[in-house]
Amino acid sequence: MSRKSERLVNLTIALLATKRFLTKAEIFRTVDGYEGTPEAMERMFERDKDDLRGLGISIELGTFDPLFEDEAGYRITSSSYRLDLGPLDGGDIALLSLAASAWSGAALEEESTSALVKLESIGIDSDLESLALSPRIGATDSRFTAITEAIMNCASISFDYISSDLSVRKRQLHPYALRGRSGSWFLIAYDLDKSDQRTFRLDRISGDVLVSKKGGAFTIPDSINEGVSEIKPVSTLLLRKGRGHQFRAIATSIVIGDEWDTVDVPYFSEQWLLSLILWHRDDVLVLEPAAVQIRVREALNDMRELHG
Amino acid sequence: MAKKVSTPIEQTSRLLNLVPFLLTHQGIDVETLAKHFGVTKGIILDDLNTLWMCGLPGYTPLELIDLEFDSGYVTIRNADPLAHVRSLVGSEMVALALGLDLLATGSSDVSPEILERIKKLSDLIRVKIGGQISITDSGQSEKRALIERAITERSSVEIDYFSPHTDEVKRRTITPFDFIREESFEYVQAFCELAEGVRTFRMDRIVDISKELIPRSQGQSQVGSQERIKSSVRIIRGDRSTAESLGLSPEEVRVEGSLSLSAFSEDWLIRTLLASRGDLVIDTPEQLRRRIVQSIDSTLALYEEGAIALALSKRK
Repeated sequence: MSRKSERLVNLTIALLATKRFLTKAEIFRTVDGYEGTPEAMERMFERDKDDLRGLGISIELGTFDPLFEDEAGYRITSSSYRLDLGPLDGGDIALLSLAASAWSGAALEEESTSALVKLESIGIDSDLESLALSPRIGATDSRFTAITEAIMNCASISFDYISSDLSVRKRQLHPYALRGRSGSWFLIAYDLDKSDQRTFRLDRISGDVLVSKKGGAFTIPDSINEGVSEIKPVSTLLLRKGRGHQFRAIATSIVIGDEWDTVDVPYFSEQWLLSLILWHRDDVLVLEPAAVQIRVREALNDMRELHG
Repeated sequence: MAKKVSTPIEQTSRLLNLVPFLLTHQGIDVETLAKHFGVTKGIILDDLNTLWMCGLPGYTPLELIDLEFDSGYVTIRNADPLAHVRSLVGSEMVALALGLDLLATGSSDVSPEILERIKKLSDLIRVKIGGQISITDSGQSEKRALIERAITERSSVEIDYFSPHTDEVKRRTITPFDFIREESFEYVQAFCELAEGVRTFRMDRIVDISKELIPRSQGQSQVGSQERIKSSVRIIRGDRSTAESLGLSPEEVRVEGSLSLSAFSEDWLIRTLLASRGDLVIDTPEQLRRRIVQSIDSTLALYEEGAIALALSKRK
């Protein structure tokens, strides 16, 4: 049993139940748990306010009568305290519960559990039994939670990142957004050393993510350049019948042939394209761009020499 | 998993959530209550004991929250000031919004009405948190994306696979190396630890898949060595993609360094070598070197003008 949690709950009750603002003196006199010297109680109260704020409970500061310079008082308004998602029905509750269940065993499991408890407390039974979905989110490491919090609080972060040449460098960043794409998580952030926006894959972070204690360190721009909406170059490939499904899955057009199908695929990095073409051995040939075909043939000739 | 310890702040948060929950679940048994809150029974009992001491200033029985739980079933009275369900905090909204994203993008068998509902709920939540954190998986199912990654990073995944012959679902750890399509079905070819051999799995019979990849060392630990092809590989140029495709840590990638590489499938080894674009070279076995040369030769032959033109002329 913790005296601190008891005091915090009692303080919340007192501040919620009051219509008028309660002065500090009134709080110290009436709320159970405030003890010791005036200075000690003062410190205790300041910490308690911060702790409640951390739990998403905002304490309003005001005076009894704006015409008089009264001592300031505190209260929690029920409108700021209570959950208000508008009218929800059983189907909505069912979908939100399902969404929360996606975190089973993953990074935000605790948060989703408490969200679920709140939804269940509304007292509406979920009634979408027939939905046979079991979404699961693949984010189990603590970096995910740290970065999420940092974005929500606009706090700077830093971590060691493995670059494409394998060098490991510390990055100082303003995190803007987190995107789940094709089973990986990408962080879009402003790199303070490069003075430019960069994208980072979470599993390429080496070690822990350090989050600055100070929130509100930056503002997230209204429109973030996602790097995916840009017009990407397109490559034309020949795929042997029944092969090359990774390309088929992203193809923008497929022309069916006898032995070979012709597809157009957008690509982001030439290196990625080269590797994936080569991976498919003699099942995938590149037609366009001509420069890529030349590089594929060069790579093949190089490798032939190396293994000859 | 139920939490076994909790800080005063976490307890405060739980106590404030307990009251409205109990008000709508009068008479709930302690065990079920603990499960809902994701904590142990001991923690919930401690919570109830603490809550029992809380109430309005004055703290006489008139003001204190009235709880009964001696019988193992919990009822609550006199808790009006805390009766309201607390608003969701930022991280809870993120959790729900991402879960909704996944419902909307991760599955193809969601009806348009349900999608509409998901969008409505998502908009409702995103009013408060914005769109900074989201899942934008475009069309590809989580299942396929994960298997694709397992192939390129040579990792394993755990699947629950339905076998119509035995009419049972079994959990298997597989190390996939290729997709195959035959007729209208898509298959994944993989080494299966349960069967200790290469098997073909129909994608739509994979009932469930693990959320994350299992690193190579773990995934392959129980495999009999007779199944694997061993080879010695030299690193000519090394970068991050080399490390990721071989499942090595950055320190392990040394230029001109040799490493032994074993795989379940010769095909996988050859493909990995080719995809390295010359960053890697096989030293031994000699037979594998010859296979690679053969594969390169047949690919190069197709690039001869005649072959491509022939392929193009046969387009329907």
